[in-house]
Amino acid sequence: MSQSLEAYLVLSALLFGIGTFGFLAKRNAIAMLMSIELMLNAVNLAIIAFGAFSAELAAQFSTIAIFVIALAAGEATVGLGIVIAIFRNRRTPLVDEYASMKE
Amino acid sequence: MELPATVPYLDWRWDDLLFLLLAGVLLGAALLVVLGRDIIRSALWLILSFAALAGIYGLLGSAFLAISQVLVYIGAIAVLILFAVMITQSKRGPAKLVFNRQWWVGALAAIGLVILLVLSILLTEWDPTATVQVADARDIALTLFDDYLFAFLALGVLLLAGVIGGLYLARRDDDMPMTNIPGGVPDEEEAV
Amino acid sequence: MDLVLSAEAAGGHASESLTLAAATDEQRLLLLAVLLVPMAGFLLTGVLGRRMGHRPWIISVSAVVISAALATILAFSALLSEEPVRYGFTLYTWIPVGELQVDFGFLFDNLTAVMVIVVTWIGALVHIYSIGYMEHDASKWRFFAYLNLFMFSMLLLVMADSYLVVFAAWELVGLSSYLLIGFWYTKRAPALASKKAFLVNRVADHSFLVGIMGVFLITGTMNMLDSFELTPWAQTEWWVIDIVILLLFVGAAGKSAQFPFHVWLPDAMEGPTPVSALIHAATMVNAGVYFIARTSPVFALAPETMLLVASIGIFTAILAASIAMTQRDIKKVLAYSTLSQLGYMFAALGIGAWVAAIFHLMAHGFTKGLLFLGSGSVIHAVDGEQDMDKMGGLRKKIPITHWTFLIAALSLAGIPPLAGFFSKDSILGESFIFNDYLIFLIGVIVAAMTGFYMFRLVGKTFYGESHVDPAVEPKVHESPPSMTGTLLLLAIPTIFLGLIIGLPLGDSVIFNWLEPIFAPANEIMALGHHAYELIGVDGGLILVSVAVASLGIGIAIWLFGFFGLRARLDKVRELTVRNRLTRGLYTASFNKWWFDDLNHLIFYRFGTRVADGVMWFDVKVIDGIVNGVGAVTQRVGDDVRHIQTGRVQNYALGIAIGLIVIAGLFIFMAR
Repeated sequence: MSQSLEAYLVLSALLFGIGTFGFLAKRNAIAMLMSIELMLNAVNLAIIAFGAFSAELAAQFSTIAIFVIALAAGEATVGLGIVIAIFRNRRTPLVDEYASMKE
Repeated sequence: MELPATVPYLDWRWDDLLFLLLAGVLLGAALLVVLGRDIIRSALWLILSFAALAGIYGLLGSAFLAISQVLVYIGAIAVLILFAVMITQSKRGPAKLVFNRQWWVGALAAIGLVILLVLSILLTEWDPTATVQVADARDIALTLFDDYLFAFLALGVLLLAGVIGGLYLARRDDDMPMTNIPGGVPDEEEAV
Repeated sequence: MDLVLSAEAAGGHASESLTLAAATDEQRLLLLAVLLVPMAGFLLTGVLGRRMGHRPWIISVSAVVISAALATILAFSALLSEEPVRYGFTLYTWIPVGELQVDFGFLFDNLTAVMVIVVTWIGALVHIYSIGYMEHDASKWRFFAYLNLFMFSMLLLVMADSYLVVFAAWELVGLSSYLLIGFWYTKRAPALASKKAFLVNRVADHSFLVGIMGVFLITGTMNMLDSFELTPWAQTEWWVIDIVILLLFVGAAGKSAQFPFHVWLPDAMEGPTPVSALIHAATMVNAGVYFIARTSPVFALAPETMLLVASIGIFTAILAASIAMTQRDIKKVLAYSTLSQLGYMFAALGIGAWVAAIFHLMAHGFTKGLLFLGSGSVIHAVDGEQDMDKMGGLRKKIPITHWTFLIAALSLAGIPPLAGFFSKDSILGESFIFNDYLIFLIGVIVAAMTGFYMFRLVGKTFYGESHVDPAVEPKVHESPPSMTGTLLLLAIPTIFLGLIIGLPLGDSVIFNWLEPIFAPANEIMALGHHAYELIGVDGGLILVSVAVASLGIGIAIWLFGFFGLRARLDKVRELTVRNRLTRGLYTASFNKWWFDDLNHLIFYRFGTRVADGVMWFDVKVIDGIVNGVGAVTQRVGDDVRHIQTGRVQNYALGIAIGLIVIAGLFIFMAR
């Protein structure tokens, strides 16, 4: 099983699903960002799995994975910065309260 | 001491056992991240899931990426998340509800998405002869600095922008007074 | 029915077909001048009239007089030439659209000449008369402007050479009539009357237009002379021809106020008297007669419709005459008289007595014009009163009016040697000769009635005791010279027209003028020429018509007075109530045989109910649908707006679901 691509991909899909659920269901903004990190990691796993099972592409896919990691870091920085800024204004980390653009 | 060729009793390969263990830890930690009540606990389970993921990368032959994962995700991102959690803790204490009103629809959507993905994965015909290739760090380095140098440099700029943006967003306001305070900006002398 | 195309059928007279010559430059200039000078008068008076103070009539009267002079030159040069004249020219191509080519052109022959003389002479005299009649009216500049517009329209109508231009002029004339009937539009009655005239005419005009389209479909041309080519008509079914001609006739009947369109003419008396004289006696109402005469070759192809034309004509004649015998308003009597005489003309047209109809048109125009202007003078004298029961004994106080009026009355009644005798006798004579005995009989009865009601009018107005309002009586005076001069001038043709162009009997001047124009129609109808026998049939007919007219006059004189004879009003009253029959007839006649009430019932009462129903449908159903769409949109929008919660997670859920659906479709459809 560890030698079959499918297992890793299914694992990636499951992780992605968990991340999606967390993103859609949690109230705390930081919890949402953690779920986003889970999703990014799932995608990264899939990329690395594809790269690992193909001789020519291994190096390139690994490079892509490095980029993804770096970008996730940058995104987490800015995202958390935004959450902190909003928190200063609204005094709550709960996204339910961030609804001033409702109709 | 030599390990037996296959796992005793189950007759699996060791690789497979390792894979199942790591996968189990990963999924369990991820679930606990999402289902947990206390957000600090969720952050710690997240760290565990990162670690498990690093192990899986190692299983896939990328030692370099496994180490990068640990360094960046656990060392930087998870710490950042913990700091943010602490800054945004509201005095009202933990919220009564962890999930919002649409959580069950979200669960259904997530399950649907997973089913979709899994079905498409299982129904695809992958090359059955493929085996795990080890990704040499040297090859990664060559690809990164030779073919994708420009992208690498752009990534650097992006991260720089991200850092500056993050700093600006998260700064404390008394260092840089806001200019649209109702009542006007207080003069230098008035600020005590 | 077979179309008789051979020349021999015309009998002794060779039917020379008139060829259309091109107009010379002088003729073109004169034609355009005759037409455009009144138009210029209208525009100038319309623009400058208000500022001209007391004399706005200078421009318009000069315009009409100039136009009349030029027209006379043109007309007499045509009428007095040895060979019959016909020329025309095209001004420009008005509508060049594929198969429909309509040229704006003019046609001038003896028929045009006759019409032009009638229109311009009577028009000029009416304009001069109006100087005095409208003296005290503040908006007389508008009046003269409209009169000029009318002159332009009428001249265009008689000089045009294509159906569409005639129709355009038809409508213009109707517009002028509307403007002039409703001249005192601030009062209720004239406004209603002008609207009635226009609407009744509109109905007939629709039929007219469809008829024109029918002619175009059959012949492929809008030019009147070109449409007389027999080939396309010979290839059409007889009943199609009948229907097309019928539609044209209905249009003419509307303009000339024949039954059932006669209802607008009596109401049109609300307009100033010069208008009644010009438009509703001498010119506009003759447009229908002119049109049928002009298109006689085509009308002759539909004998069944011609029968209808004659029937309606003579029916209108007797219907109107019966109403005229009991009316009290002096202008209404004259209006019904006009209807009756127009009926004579249509009857003549219907039986093929074309020349007689046009002759009567001329004689009637001058006679009735004189009668109306005279009545205007009477009304002016008694300070606006129009009810004859409040007149009487006026002959000594307004002598000129009285004498000219008497002459005109005699002419209308058909007493020789006045103009009316010659023209009416020619109609009656032709009807007898063509073996249309029923028309002859009814025509004779109408002649008697004509004599009666005219002298009833004369008696009640001028003779006997004065029933004038005592407050008004001392102020009764003769009219100013502009009015009496016109009366005298009009009396001249009334007396002499018949003698000049109606003689010699049997081969009269006017017959020779107009016969070549009607030759094609006569060929088709196979009407033979008949030698005139003064001692014989024709002489006998003269005696009959004179006797009958004298009978009517005599009864009227006996009842209503004459010069020294007193009126026997008690006898009059006794006659009307003697028995149920006379009472019924009197009531029916007095109430105009209830045609107006019938129209009111059908078109107004019933019509408003239909309109109410339609409005209900419009408001409830159509507006309901439209408003309903709006309401539904509003409600849906109201409900849908709750989708926008402002929360990111809700939107993200939407994205996720959308993603699942679309990806699922893609993946599993591809399998």
